[in-house]
Amino acid sequence: MSERLKFAGAGFGVGILSGLLGVGGGIFIVPIMVTYFNITQHIAQATSMAIVIPTAFISSIIYGFHGNIDVNVALNLIVGSMVGASIGVRIMKKVPAIRLKQLFAILLIMVGVRMILT
Amino acid sequence: MTMILLVFGIGLSTGILSGLLGIGGGVVLVPMMVFLLGIAQHTAQGISMLVIIPTSIVSVWYFYKEKLINYQAAAYMAGGAALGALISANFVQAVPASALKRIFGIFVILIGFRMIWATRKKDEDI
Repeated sequence: MSERLKFAGAGFGVGILSGLLGVGGGIFIVPIMVTYFNITQHIAQATSMAIVIPTAFISSIIYGFHGNIDVNVALNLIVGSMVGASIGVRIMKKVPAIRLKQLFAILLIMVGVRMILT
Repeated sequence: MTMILLVFGIGLSTGILSGLLGIGGGVVLVPMMVFLLGIAQHTAQGISMLVIIPTSIVSVWYFYKEKLINYQAAAYMAGGAALGALISANFVQAVPASALKRIFGIFVILIGFRMIWATRKKDEDI
């Protein structure tokens, strides 16, 4: 099976799962890229961000049609998160892959616990 | 004013975590909106999706300049993910989500512990 087909198949599975479970694709995409496609942690995380954009775009349109977006709060959050992201990516570049993996693993465990409790 | 600062702070911490770990940030953003701002779960999820877009654009712009993106993986996985999300968004009501969530919760925790275990062994090698 070609590499492209594998990528598309993995993406499809992630899309289905994130829709069903109400979690973003990133927490599945990064481990899949690192484990099955042998992509390094830094590149997997950066690539995951690029995948998140179209997925979030489609979901926003769906939520928007249902009238479930508070624009004022959203804009205020966006200002903060854009500043935060530009700080976060610069820290990420300096953190060794092994530490990123450990931080990511802690995040996974927290997300998993939340999924069980809710 | 305090409210604006609180919301800004929530956005800021979400952005840092998002950039640092390559995730959208909804995982932390949604619970903070629900618990700290008292926003309803469904509205919080909608807002979160909207916030994720400009946040990831900032990160992707930086990663593009730093040449950290695998474009083939990004294009094909994004295509697959968009199709999968569209399908599951339209059929999500038909599935008993809470049971599924618990099963995958355990699965996600196991992946987390496996990742920590793997890095521990590498530490010993170094």
